[in-house]
Amino acid sequence: MTATQTQVTFREAVIEALAEEMARDRNVLLIGEDVGAAGGVFHQTKGLFDQFGPIRVIDTPISEAGFIGMAVGAAMSGLRPVTEVMFGDFITLGMDLLVNQAAKVHWMSDGQYRVPLVVRTAVGIGAATGPQHAQSFHAWFAHVPGLKVVFPSNPADAKALMKGAIRDDNPVIFFEDRMSYGMRGSVGGADHVLPPGQAAVARPGRDISLIALGQMVPRALDAATRLASAGIEAEVIDLRSLVPLDEGIIAQTVRRTNRALVLDPGCIGFGASAEIAARVQELAFDWLDAPVARMGAAQVPVPFSPALESRVLPDGAAIAARAAAMVTGRQEGEAA
Amino acid sequence: MQTTEKMALWQRMLLMRRFEERVIALAGKGHVAGHYHVYIGQEATGAAVIDALGPADMLFSTHRNHGHFIARGADPAAALAEILGRATGCNGGMGGSLHLADPQLGMPHTSAVLGGAPALAMGAGFEMARSGGDRIAVAFFGDGALEEGLALEALNMAALWKLPVLFVCENNSAGAIGAAKGGYPGSIIGTERLTALPAAFNIRHVSLDGNHMEGLRAAASDARKALIAGEGPVFMETNTPRWFGNQGLWPDLRHGPVDIGMATGETPLPGGPDADWFAAHDPILRGARELVAAGVPLSALHQADARITADMDAAEALALAAPFPDRAAALRNIFAGQST
Amino acid sequence: MQARRLPAEQAMLARYRAMVLIRRFEERVQSLFRAGRVPGLTHLCIGQEAVAAGVCSALRPGDRIASTHRGHGHSLAMGADPDRLMAEILGRETGYGGGRGGSMHVFDAANGNLGTNGIVGGAVPLGLGAALAARNAGKGAVAVAFFGDGAMNQGVVLECFNMAALWRLPLILVCEHNGYGEFTASDDVTAGELSARGAAFDLPVQDIDGMDVEAVHQATAAAVDSARQGGGPGLLFCRAWRFSGHHAGDGQDYKDDAESRAWRARDPIPRQRARLIDEGLETDESLTALEAEISDRVQAAARRALGAPEPSGPLHEKLFA
Repeated sequence: MTATQTQVTFREAVIEALAEEMARDRNVLLIGEDVGAAGGVFHQTKGLFDQFGPIRVIDTPISEAGFIGMAVGAAMSGLRPVTEVMFGDFITLGMDLLVNQAAKVHWMSDGQYRVPLVVRTAVGIGAATGPQHAQSFHAWFAHVPGLKVVFPSNPADAKALMKGAIRDDNPVIFFEDRMSYGMRGSVGGADHVLPPGQAAVARPGRDISLIALGQMVPRALDAATRLASAGIEAEVIDLRSLVPLDEGIIAQTVRRTNRALVLDPGCIGFGASAEIAARVQELAFDWLDAPVARMGAAQVPVPFSPALESRVLPDGAAIAARAAAMVTGRQEGEAA
Repeated sequence: MQTTEKMALWQRMLLMRRFEERVIALAGKGHVAGHYHVYIGQEATGAAVIDALGPADMLFSTHRNHGHFIARGADPAAALAEILGRATGCNGGMGGSLHLADPQLGMPHTSAVLGGAPALAMGAGFEMARSGGDRIAVAFFGDGALEEGLALEALNMAALWKLPVLFVCENNSAGAIGAAKGGYPGSIIGTERLTALPAAFNIRHVSLDGNHMEGLRAAASDARKALIAGEGPVFMETNTPRWFGNQGLWPDLRHGPVDIGMATGETPLPGGPDADWFAAHDPILRGARELVAAGVPLSALHQADARITADMDAAEALALAAPFPDRAAALRNIFAGQST
Repeated sequence: MQARRLPAEQAMLARYRAMVLIRRFEERVQSLFRAGRVPGLTHLCIGQEAVAAGVCSALRPGDRIASTHRGHGHSLAMGADPDRLMAEILGRETGYGGGRGGSMHVFDAANGNLGTNGIVGGAVPLGLGAALAARNAGKGAVAVAFFGDGAMNQGVVLECFNMAALWRLPLILVCEHNGYGEFTASDDVTAGELSARGAAFDLPVQDIDGMDVEAVHQATAAAVDSARQGGGPGLLFCRAWRFSGHHAGDGQDYKDDAESRAWRARDPIPRQRARLIDEGLETDESLTALEAEISDRVQAAARRALGAPEPSGPLHEKLFA
């Protein structure tokens, strides 16, 4: 890995990945609403149209079902499209094409066809975009056999994972949290590629594992800092991918810390946190000193009013309090 | 139209304008969270069409809904409070600018997803066709919504079942500077005329000057009669040149609130590239000129403006003083029949 | 794939051959279905053979098609191996999908078939994508999307009409207009004329007798030639009739008997047979021999498929590439 020294934003990191992959492989193309000349409504595709032109960077009508389906057909025909859905909520308009077509083609065709497709979409609670422009449905896609799901939390991973997703021969749903778009960090060079399925230790610790995804990772790191000042060393795991799920790192961390708090930016009910908690019990039940706990988005549509929206996801303080109670519970148990 | 009717319609349009000018000013002071869209320059369409409706008719609007909501008689304080995310807002702060709604006004829900309004209105029309009662459903949507298959599915079903649905396509693509220059693009449809789409479904259609309140009022009234007579849906394309302040991604009130005196030259028009919009297109000034030509003194328009401005001052004060919602508010009403 | 760049008279015979193959194949599937040997649902294209044979004979290697739930004919017309097709329909290991897909999910990459499809209108976005890939490759290839009249009420199909027209992609949109979407008459669920929906997007529309394989072929060839030269998409309405109903077990009580009889009188296969003989290209004897050969081929395919093993591999195999 050759790290570039300049700090770039999350948004720029993804653009770098797209530009490098489009330069490397002429079959890679970008399809979506306002991704071309406008450079994306969040400036998340800026410069790509000027560099690659209208044959490779395609501005579509507002026809999500149509252009997601077009990307599936193009992927089956030899291209490697990156399709953008402006707001994660709008993916609902193209669900058939992802769930019934993209996910199943390789398997149904007995491997004759591959669908090397990336669907990138921006989600994010915290910008007062209201109930139809904020929710993250990553758990839905993780439930569908044949789709991969990734959700980076920082610029370096965003760049490397986008490159990995583009090079993957399967449909990959790539979630980006808009609230992270301005986050700065150094990123890897053109040859640094992270395939879906590898989690990372974002902060080592011994007392409890905070297993987090997406926007919950910075919140977990904040919680870990707070816990450290109280003498509790939390280990923060950044899952980075839901499918494939990195069971190795989950088993390894929980078997060492004996406690797991799962943190998901999606709704709690029937969500990703439930699946991860179940895996923890399957992988490390005998090592657990406390029930697996989970925190995530409240089971409500995302409210508009900032006064309410700010309470949908638990913050670092709330996570720290929950983690401390789990750890303190062990200490009390030992004392008894 | 009688002059008194015209005057009432114009005052409604002016309230729509003053309301949104206020929203932009409040946003400039940091009171509006998130993105928002304004209806400035399109007021004649919303005011005239909604004026032609009956009290039991239903309306479905879009992300650009403020004008429709005010035109339908919403309390400006409750609308403003919603846009500011306050507990006294028409949706209790849950929806914000994108989702202004009030069942009492026949606007039960506002979808900000393109194509939502035509589909929901078609559903309301489906019920009305069965229950009767001389009611119609109206869908307001932009030209871009016709890029969504959902909107076209709604046209088919409305036509097939002769539902009493008025589809109002507010085509504001003229004057769009396009996404390439940082603005909103016009529609991306491989046809020269948007009315070719309803025509393909055998839907009666008409294309109108979206700034001519009298023509719009008459067309909407005719359409409503045909709809109640069970003749099937009507598609009305209303064309408005895009307000200069809506060319970019954020509303830009660069010349400040409109001065009614510009209608007669009492106040000079702003110079520069925006002059043409004030001179030829602003529906407020155009309406004012028509009223003055009909014998209404400009002073009467100023008096009406002063009353509306005072009402807006009061609405703004109420909205700004309103509390933010309490925590429990987000957990209420997820399901009907919920006890907590 | 057959019938490519053949002299005209040979091409006419090849289209006849393709139609007879499809008919015999579908009849065999029907008899197997009635005998309880076909798992699940299967949709036959008996009566619509001229569309499959006429359209696909205008294509060349490198072109792609995307098909429908009624796609055995399209698959065969593109050159699918009857053994593997029959095996897939019977859910056997030797089928095109190893038994994973069945009748509604037959993929044949070697012959440019992007799959039959279980979703009404599903072929249209996939075909649009294949047309985009063809345009970007710049080798003059085209894509064909097959769909029924029922799919004309799916919003995604109309979205794709718009994009194909907007970007002038080399996509041939083939509507097999058989008058029914599942068990409901098209007229009962459709406002306006279907062809007007193509015209609304400024798509060139051709209304074709889908029971005449030569008419279908000529119309397709014209659209394909234009698309290969950058002339953009075309929409073909092929009027046809489902002799065997929506699926293999459909009693067709919802259809008018007189109308069905009238359509049967226009059966594309005897029509092409008579044309070959009338024009002196073939004789009754030569065609009878050809038909016998095709029947034998289909019988062999059925025999092999019935004798093929049931799939036994791990369920998760090939979930991901």
